[in-house]
Amino acid sequence: MGGKEQPIIFGIRHLSPAGAWNLRKLLDQVMPQLVLVEGPSDFTEELSVLADRKTKLPVAVMAYTSDTPIHTILYPLAEYSPEYQAVLWANEHDKECRFIDLPSSVFLAYMRAAGIEEDAGEEERISVYRRLDELSGEDAHETFWERTMEHFSEGDGYFKGAEVFGKNLRELTQGKDWDDAETIVREAYMKRQIKKAIDSGIAPEQIVVVTGAYHTQGLKESTLELSDQELGQLPSVESQKTWMPYSYYRLSSRSGYGAGNKAPAYYELLWKGYQKGEADYAARSYLSKLAFWQRQNGNMVSSAEVIEAVRLSFSLAELHGYRIPALRDLRDAAMTCMGHGNFGEIAQAVADTEIGTTIGSLPQGISRTSVQNDFYRFLDELHLRRYCSVTADDLHLDLREKLTVKSEKSAFLDRERSFFLHRLRVLGISFVNWQQVQQENATWAEHWVLRWTPEAEIEIVETQLKGDTILLAAAFQMKEEAKKEQGIAAIAKIIEESFLCGMPEMVSFTTSILQKIAVEAAAVEEIAKTVHSLSLVIQYGSIRNLSSDALVPVLEQLFLRACLLLPESCICDDNASREMIHAVSMLNEAALRHEFLSEEQWLQVVTEIAQRDDLNTKVSGYAAAVLLERGTFTNKELELQVQRRLSRGIPADLGAGWFEGLSMKNRYALITHMSLWESLDGYLDTLDDEEFKRALLFLRRAFADFTAREKSDIAENLGELWQLNPQQVSEIVNAPLTQEAQEMLEELDDFDFGDI
Amino acid sequence: MAAKTKVQRLPAEQMFQKEIEALIAAETDPIPTGWKMSPKSVLTYITGGKVGRKVITPKYIGHKRLVEIAIATLVTDRALLLIGEPGTAKSWLSEHLTAAINGDSTKVIQGTAGTTEEQIRYSWNYAMLIAQGPSQEAMLKSPIFHAMETGTIARMEEISRCASEVQDALISILSEKRVSVPELGLEVPAKKGFSVIATANTRDKGVNEMSAALKRRFNIVVLPAPADLESEMDIVKTRVAQLSENLDLNAKLPEQEVIEKVCTIFRELRLGATLDGKQKLKPTTGVLSTAEAISLLANSMALAGSFGNGTITDYDLAAGLQGAIVKDEEKDSLAWKEYLENILKKRGLKWSGLYKECKELNG
Repeated sequence: MGGKEQPIIFGIRHLSPAGAWNLRKLLDQVMPQLVLVEGPSDFTEELSVLADRKTKLPVAVMAYTSDTPIHTILYPLAEYSPEYQAVLWANEHDKECRFIDLPSSVFLAYMRAAGIEEDAGEEERISVYRRLDELSGEDAHETFWERTMEHFSEGDGYFKGAEVFGKNLRELTQGKDWDDAETIVREAYMKRQIKKAIDSGIAPEQIVVVTGAYHTQGLKESTLELSDQELGQLPSVESQKTWMPYSYYRLSSRSGYGAGNKAPAYYELLWKGYQKGEADYAARSYLSKLAFWQRQNGNMVSSAEVIEAVRLSFSLAELHGYRIPALRDLRDAAMTCMGHGNFGEIAQAVADTEIGTTIGSLPQGISRTSVQNDFYRFLDELHLRRYCSVTADDLHLDLREKLTVKSEKSAFLDRERSFFLHRLRVLGISFVNWQQVQQENATWAEHWVLRWTPEAEIEIVETQLKGDTILLAAAFQMKEEAKKEQGIAAIAKIIEESFLCGMPEMVSFTTSILQKIAVEAAAVEEIAKTVHSLSLVIQYGSIRNLSSDALVPVLEQLFLRACLLLPESCICDDNASREMIHAVSMLNEAALRHEFLSEEQWLQVVTEIAQRDDLNTKVSGYAAAVLLERGTFTNKELELQVQRRLSRGIPADLGAGWFEGLSMKNRYALITHMSLWESLDGYLDTLDDEEFKRALLFLRRAFADFTAREKSDIAENLGELWQLNPQQVSEIVNAPLTQEAQEMLEELDDFDFGDI
Repeated sequence: MAAKTKVQRLPAEQMFQKEIEALIAAETDPIPTGWKMSPKSVLTYITGGKVGRKVITPKYIGHKRLVEIAIATLVTDRALLLIGEPGTAKSWLSEHLTAAINGDSTKVIQGTAGTTEEQIRYSWNYAMLIAQGPSQEAMLKSPIFHAMETGTIARMEEISRCASEVQDALISILSEKRVSVPELGLEVPAKKGFSVIATANTRDKGVNEMSAALKRRFNIVVLPAPADLESEMDIVKTRVAQLSENLDLNAKLPEQEVIEKVCTIFRELRLGATLDGKQKLKPTTGVLSTAEAISLLANSMALAGSFGNGTITDYDLAAGLQGAIVKDEEKDSLAWKEYLENILKKRGLKWSGLYKECKELNG
């Protein structure tokens, strides 16, 4: 490009009200044929959406790679974005408007090559701005920008200021910034686009180029535009794009450009100020809005205080030599005059006034993503539309078949709803909230609280990144999680989730993962837990109309593994014995519940545990109790065991520990076994004083959670043994401890158990 | 700085006379009515900087923005209320603000439980009043009255110590901006430039709540304790240097290491945790303010100058620390002992001398 035939290049700052205003003024003046805007060139075809009257800003265009790992670029626009105003102006005046930056597919390819997840460029940029802060003497570049650019509304100040600023910024950063190379390619591409426009016959002076201030210099310099060959060499990935409504909240928390969007609601006030032609409009309305919020929330703020705050903010600005207060001045003035010097008092009001709750919307149908379509289709189909309100609504589901209705669809309506809601929950969409059901074991009842927020809409759009429908996205999400997880218990949890979501394919997918890592699993406790949760899924799978066949082999495999590992794991100390007993109990339940688990094998294992002498006696006792409960232990066998375990010479802790384990189950049966009590009595008689004290500790623990009724039954047994009046014994057993006994027991606490 | 005089403590405008003169001489910005210099120059005077070749020493270090807010408040002829814990330089800041703005920091009312309404408005020379009846000559004007007549700024120290009816007397003055003297049938309006800087304590015994009506008449600036060790050390160093010149302490200025030790101990006991935040510790009952650190060091310098070799030793420091920290005999002594054993003892060689001396003193 030669010096003469240059189009007008208008440098802006993204999301800049002053930029938007001045740009419109310039466009009105120049009346160009063509407006070129810095923005991915493939977005040009989407511009009609922006011009639609039903579109309410802020909105964003998102481009994302079709395959994983997913990279995205987001192009958010607010009403005060110069880019948006450029598009609007072109539309109003029937002129052409085009985006001229690299296509989004190229951007995404660069990101993928650099291994960047999302706009990581920001961090790099921040260091640039820090240098800028040091140069400008203010401690926030936002404030500097605002003061120098946003408040300047006379003549071509903005136009020139942005140019100088961009030039300086370039000098500061060029050769230091990581994305220098990308910048060069981008500018060469934009120049190519500009040249193309000129070549097509539009006079250069009939073209206005809207671009970030940073690029103005680059576009003016006489570097070459991208050649055809180079164009062909640009990397590219398959990508898609979608419009989405955006919110000021997101605009402030996920700024992509590192400038000018921390306080969108305030910037909107600036924009309105420009439209009204009142330079101090934003200052006044900021403080009034803040005061209004305070009053609404019960904090008294008088008009006098607002007036004082306005005055203070202006004098703060003057202190820096400016006429109009910047956001920082306003905030400090509000803190001083309305917050009694404490920022905490106004913090919430500040957040509301600066960021606000504005959320954009798009015309129906135009730009709905497939996930959104899917979501709304389900809402209609499942009659959930009416829950789309901002007030929280309760929804109680009964998953059982409704016998009173005719069609199968309505008979299982609640079940389908449950699947749908669980999928949304897995995707983390804030529309749904799963509540715990009070009633225990009511596997058919579910309680949900549904509340629609526009944020949820955005979350749904973002779900598009994971899949084209709610179902696919949920599956994707779970697969990703399953791939990350290593523990079998965690995988079992995901299997449970897939059941809740009604996704049989997911069940088989995770089951296969489980199968693979189950081979490595060595902790009996964890295996037992997994067996337990899988067993529940199989048991209650039918209520969700899901076949759990795929789970059966895994459960068998895990159960077998547990059986093999269990006996050796029972060589453990007292602390671990509690966990082992829990494991035995869970495995036992599973064995009882499912016929396909080998009963014979299980009983063999339990018998082994019950009989071996080298295992923790408490677990052995518990195993004996299991056998007794199952009726595989005859009275005679029990007696034999009792005699063996409680015979003279057995250390007190082992004997009493065994009894503790035994008494953890089917107490009623135990109480009726007279021979047991006889043996116990005889055993205790053999102990000397010191040993008796030890045994007492275990026995106290064993009897601790017997009920009063059970205790008196035992007393009756003992009374009979000792030929005493059962009532008297019962009284003694159930009586509260006397002072004396208490003291004796306390002595026992000092007893040295170190060698046990 | 001013030549040495026999006065124990010179007011700020005399102590920094040369700086103020230099700022006024170099003034280019517009000056508000009743002020001696522009708000910008006031800011330079307080936070430090350069005028031509003259270096302006910083009077208030850290939190520059708060100073900006304070000055901007006074430009709008609003009254300013400085709130903060004891020893956060409230009075210091208010003195220097008035010194720079009016060249006069002496229009002060000291708030106490015994302050009366007359001391805020005016009272009479009763001998003269009885002899001549009410007249302008028999009237004793309060500093605020004077400030209103001359369009300058009056200071009200420790406003929260005054009884509430006395505080209320300020309300009418601040909203009407005039004092009526019914005895003389006189209405005295405030001249442009009149304002009040009040200071108030938040955490002290014997403090009266301020009414909302009075608070509303002030722009409130809360002065925090220094934000980090570096700025606190800066403050202490600057102030100790100024003090020692004034007091002829005959000792060398404390070394950086000594200042660091004192500031570290003070900050840790104030925050109830070690500076690296890894260990919690028991704070003392009293507020260990920066002001106390300054006086502690000046005190140690006096000890060193009078009885030692002129350099602050660990022995001098320990005596000062003991006095500053242990105010409530039993509780503080325990907390201090715990701190010594748990923290100081383990800090290594640099601290071991101080630890030994402190331990000896604290018993």
